[in-house]
Amino acid sequence: MRTILKLTSTLYDDLVQRLRKPHGFAAERVAFLKCRPALSATSLLLLAGGVHHVEDGDYVDDPSAGATIGRSGLRKALQTAYTEAVSMVHVHLHEHRGRPGFSRTDLRENALFVPDFWNVQPGLPHGAVVFSFDSAVGQCWIPGSSSPSGVEVAIVGSPMRCTWKVTNG
Amino acid sequence: MADELNLQRQSFLGADSETVLHRSRAAFVGLGGGGSHIAQQLAHIGLGHFLVIDPDFIEDTNLNRLVGATLEDVRLGTAKVDIAERVIKSVNPSAEVVKRLASWSEVTAELRDVDVIFACVDSLGCRSELESFARRFLIPLIDIGMDVHESNGEFSIGGQVMLSMPGKPCMRCMGLVTDDALTKEAERYGAAGGKPQVVWPNGTLASTAVGIFMKLVTPWEKQKATPLLLEYDGDLQTVTPSNKLAYLPASCKHFDSLHELGDPFWTTDALAAVE
Repeated sequence: MRTILKLTSTLYDDLVQRLRKPHGFAAERVAFLKCRPALSATSLLLLAGGVHHVEDGDYVDDPSAGATIGRSGLRKALQTAYTEAVSMVHVHLHEHRGRPGFSRTDLRENALFVPDFWNVQPGLPHGAVVFSFDSAVGQCWIPGSSSPSGVEVAIVGSPMRCTWKVTNG
Repeated sequence: MADELNLQRQSFLGADSETVLHRSRAAFVGLGGGGSHIAQQLAHIGLGHFLVIDPDFIEDTNLNRLVGATLEDVRLGTAKVDIAERVIKSVNPSAEVVKRLASWSEVTAELRDVDVIFACVDSLGCRSELESFARRFLIPLIDIGMDVHESNGEFSIGGQVMLSMPGKPCMRCMGLVTDDALTKEAERYGAAGGKPQVVWPNGTLASTAVGIFMKLVTPWEKQKATPLLLEYDGDLQTVTPSNKLAYLPASCKHFDSLHELGDPFWTTDALAAVE
């Protein structure tokens, strides 16, 4: 089964603008896409309808990572997942063109904190995606599975941008 | 003899355009005068995956506008989806054609998989429901419609092509769907005869719809935004951006809730069926 994250180009453009805004000490910004899931004939769809931004004060000054969310920031994200009954997809941006990749730190941290969202929304899939300027890769934790599956991304707008359709996607 | 499409003459669409088109999926809801035109053009262009949906069989009154239909089809009472498949495959044998002799509401799981839906339906109610579905699953919908109006003993041909893009103004924002119009249509249900339909306005509207689709999937230029609503004046033979566009909000207030996205009856049990 494929997993596809879909978001409108309006939401994507707003997201990228916010992620590129410099922070006082963090090297990059992170956020969470608030999604509702659906199943198609072939795929699990994560349909993004909003963004949970991490507030400036909720980053921890940690030189070993591009961005580290403090305990308060994680608690707020968990609260959003709980109160709004949404799947949460952690997002950050690598500022280059071409296919991005998770760092080893990303992969280790994703595996630690993404499944934590099952503590508040156990029936929903949750994930993490890293965008570049023209591509994206992601991981999704699906209820009932212990290991993550890959995520493809479709930005719905004019033009449509789907990672699986272009040869460098 | 060539056994596959040679798309050399459309290489200006981009280095990846052939791959993108081959991997793209479009659904055609209604394979009558409008849908048959669009499907045929996209077969020529090299679209890889077609989902054709129509519960109807051809009748003799369809032959004046249903592209690819023959007198033999009328004699046999061929399903419109079978005619569409035959036309598509005759142009591009490698295209995948999934055909459903059904209403679109019976094949929603498959519809969720497509990149774009072409709405080629007659009723306002059906248009409105299909748009709600497309918005829920973040699928652009391209709607075409034509009508012939009688006034003082003369006739006028009009129509429109609309791109309903998730996050952007919808049919209600544009005044194409109103509660009053839906009520009036419901009151007329069963009383109206066949609406006047002819092939050339359908062809103009279908070609415009294909142009919008191509701009979405393989844009040949990126500076000029596609107007969301184009109006066809069949008397003047013009297609122009609607005047309504100047007064539209930037975003849609009718489909802006997070909880209008996704499966309203989501359960993890369904995951097992897809695995």
